[in-house]
Amino acid sequence: MKKIFNYLKYIFSSTPPEEPLDPEELKVSFKRRYGNFRSLLTANNNALQAMAELEKIYYSGDSYRMATIRSKVTTILVNVYKMVRNLREMADGRYQDLETIFEQIGHDLVAILEQKPARHEGPFILPLAEIGRGQRSQTGEKMANLGEVAAIPGLMVPAGFVVTASATGHFLTTTLLDEINRRLQILDPDDLDRLFQTCEEIKKIVRESPLPRDLEELLHVHYGRLEKLTHAGVKVAMRSSAIGEDSAGVSFAGLYRSVLHIDKESLATAYKEVIAGKYGTKAVAYRRKRGYRHEDIEMCVGCMTMIDALVSGVTYSSDPSGDENETIRINAVSGLATSVVDGTRPTDLYLVSRVKPHTLVYSEIRQDRDNSANPHAAPSTLTYGQLKKLAETAMTLEQHFAAPQDIEWSFDHQGRLFILQSRSIPFHHRQIAEQPKEITDGGDGGEEPILFGGICASKGIVCGEVMRIDSVTQLQSFPQGAVLLVEHPLPEWAPLLGRAAALIAGHGSEAGHLATVAREFAIPALLNLPEALTTLGNGQTITVNAAARAIYSGCREDLLRAREVKKDIMAGSPVQRLVTETLQHITPLNLSDPASHQFKSKWCETLHDITRFCHEKSVTEMFNFGEKHHFHEGAAKRLVGKVPLEWWVIDLADGFQEGADVSGSTVRVEEIVSVPMQAIWRGISAFPWEGPPRVSMRGFGAIIFQSAMRPDLDPAVASNLTTKNYFLISKNFCNLSVRLGYHYAMIEAYLSDLLTENYVTFRFKGGAADMRRKAVRAKLLAEILESFDFRIELRSDALLARIKKRPRGFLEERLQILGYLTLHARQLDMVMDDPHMVERYKQKFLTDIAEMLARRDPLIQGEAGNGEEQQSVAG
Amino acid sequence: MAKNNKVLLVDDEADFREIMGSFLKRRKIAYETAGGCMEALDWLGQDHFNVVVMDVVMPGLDGLKCMAEMKKLQPELAIIILTGNASINTGVMSMKQGAFDFCMKPVDFEELLERIILAGEKSGLRATPQ
Repeated sequence: MKKIFNYLKYIFSSTPPEEPLDPEELKVSFKRRYGNFRSLLTANNNALQAMAELEKIYYSGDSYRMATIRSKVTTILVNVYKMVRNLREMADGRYQDLETIFEQIGHDLVAILEQKPARHEGPFILPLAEIGRGQRSQTGEKMANLGEVAAIPGLMVPAGFVVTASATGHFLTTTLLDEINRRLQILDPDDLDRLFQTCEEIKKIVRESPLPRDLEELLHVHYGRLEKLTHAGVKVAMRSSAIGEDSAGVSFAGLYRSVLHIDKESLATAYKEVIAGKYGTKAVAYRRKRGYRHEDIEMCVGCMTMIDALVSGVTYSSDPSGDENETIRINAVSGLATSVVDGTRPTDLYLVSRVKPHTLVYSEIRQDRDNSANPHAAPSTLTYGQLKKLAETAMTLEQHFAAPQDIEWSFDHQGRLFILQSRSIPFHHRQIAEQPKEITDGGDGGEEPILFGGICASKGIVCGEVMRIDSVTQLQSFPQGAVLLVEHPLPEWAPLLGRAAALIAGHGSEAGHLATVAREFAIPALLNLPEALTTLGNGQTITVNAAARAIYSGCREDLLRAREVKKDIMAGSPVQRLVTETLQHITPLNLSDPASHQFKSKWCETLHDITRFCHEKSVTEMFNFGEKHHFHEGAAKRLVGKVPLEWWVIDLADGFQEGADVSGSTVRVEEIVSVPMQAIWRGISAFPWEGPPRVSMRGFGAIIFQSAMRPDLDPAVASNLTTKNYFLISKNFCNLSVRLGYHYAMIEAYLSDLLTENYVTFRFKGGAADMRRKAVRAKLLAEILESFDFRIELRSDALLARIKKRPRGFLEERLQILGYLTLHARQLDMVMDDPHMVERYKQKFLTDIAEMLARRDPLIQGEAGNGEEQQSVAG
Repeated sequence: MAKNNKVLLVDDEADFREIMGSFLKRRKIAYETAGGCMEALDWLGQDHFNVVVMDVVMPGLDGLKCMAEMKKLQPELAIIILTGNASINTGVMSMKQGAFDFCMKPVDFEELLERIILAGEKSGLRATPQ
């Protein structure tokens, strides 16, 4: 704001105008500048909006993806570039250093956002027996760990090898990856149908790409070695082993493909299938949710001989749902382990002591519960000897990896135990026991639960409406914040867990992949509760307390108060790190005060600085041009008529009525054809100005104090210029600078028939009285403006309210409101101590605004005020 | 001499050409479509256009190289570049090489329409100085 006044000071004391140009040349030249000015204003708004959106995304705590970030940054870069270019055109080529600074920032942003992971160079295939943690950048975490396990005396893993990241890079060429990334980038993140379709297309591309000959032959060579170690025609399993999933707290459980029972002929097909699994719907959705770029993850493939499994399962060396971490938890099922982790079959549960001799603490035989023929005779799948062996193995692995382990295993028909996978349990999954004690009864006299029971797979208390999902075709219709009800906790539902408030399933166990994902998203999950399928209906509001295994009807505020804060699921992810760095180059504002000596192009450090600088200077340039060629001492014309206070108008272009005689030093309100100014004026003149309010002794004291502290605010020393209120206008544009009493206000607007260009901006700052009371006033204005759809930024007593891309009529009403508030806000100066008075004024303002907007005939003529009020505010 | 406002849509994605085309049709804006750069250049050789809307990523000559060729045929042409997936610098590069404007895909049709109108204004102004 101050810049206008400072500028005016400068202008009015500057050298006389240059030699006038030929009128026609002048017109063309002005038109060109004015076109640049218009484009600059539009670009300014677009850049600021994209920056605000970028910050909002970053601070929301919700997930976002790289494509969104890149798209916003591209938009910001283009618009800031347009601003620089337009300003330089307006300024006859000055401000060269802005280009240099812009180039440098652009260069830094490219370096941050477009760094490509290094290509892997190494052998395509490594035998399992030759690898350990040291090779994990070639083999993926899972297979590197398994290599370690193989080397531990007394433990066995199936014979196998790993097809490395180098092989993946050899198979998926850069061209192929570019095409895949292009398809993922144009995907609308909320369009789940499209997500499925795109993922299917990408998987098809991968499946149909030919495997390089050398890689295929190597696969056969290594398979031949496995045959020698076991027997001819041995069947193998191909499992995913990804690189880049190592950040704490992120499990990536069950997102990828495993292909079982593969023979020699289908090796290549199965390999491609596992690689394609990187682009499965749930994997893509999950990475996006957790802040991983697709290139952050590299897929490797483990190939292991199939175990002829008698019984299989999952062991947690430290039970994640246990209260004291004293037990090992074992879920087991007959046959292969897949149904444990898929959540498709009930599993037997055993809790075994962590200390020798590993006594059985608890068991629950669920496997044949559904077998109505013989419901009571369900035999245990594991013998005590097997449990003991599993417990000892779990403790060995925990010791080896120095962290609690999640272990997948099989016993074969000869009774040999094979470890198929062992990985550390993410740290926060172990924190469950530290949560506050859950309410296990109905609460403080509240109603009893409508359902009770099941298995708690992830703790928490939430409220939401029930939505049952039975098929993937329904995913799209699942609303944000609903309680997901499913029959089986299949991994297919994983994409919904980012949107669901809670998960309830009729079947399943805490060891399933979906249970793991629920814990990771920190959403409550209650599984194995078949009654829920019949009791709960779509749209019913319920409160779920998973730890208490209870479901209540309605929204139970008493229970919800006990819950913990939702965590930021992007925290620590590669994408979040990149965005943190990116924002450093974009949003900080170092050039805030245009009157400062540091308000120079060379001090611009961020894109925000550049926009701020360009906007200020463009207004100055427009002004400058007028000063040079049109304006002189008398260019600013005083508004005459029945108008309150004193207003000055400077015409930038076509803002005065055609044919109006404006050769004098005054202009009449009805001679002005600037659309935004007319609208502001309707607001200013809608009600009589009541003059400065009475001063309470306390308020008066504060003002005296302020005036002494800041001479520029003291009316007694203010120059003539600083007390004037200026309109800079054209037909479609208006910039009004007001200094009423002690506060500054600025209204700027561009109104045309194109939404792209339309905007209204309002800045308000200062005022008499101390900082606290200033803040109260700014807040009151913010509240009123927010109710009229303005987007508000409020920092202490500095208010910025913006609205854009709305139809002209709509924005004219907003300008009327701003005109009204600018004039009448002054009445608040002395009453800010009294909350009742503040509220009374707010109501009065709202009533006046409603009445004003209801009037049909626009009051262009100033009806308000009288002779005595035609004075400078300083008087 | 007043020339008709005419838009040329250049995109290798047939879907996009179709949707965009029917959108322009509803707004009564004359247009032609081209599936690639060579076809677009053919159109420019035989008819007058004010505005070109073109994807930057296309097989064959890409959008930026194509733009240079177009400018040789009709220097006053206003070209709006679109992209779905490109370097974050593509936007600035397009502007530097003379594009009128730049839009991200997926594009908001109403917004693109306004840019087409602005582009038309600009190219009209350039085409008839004075």
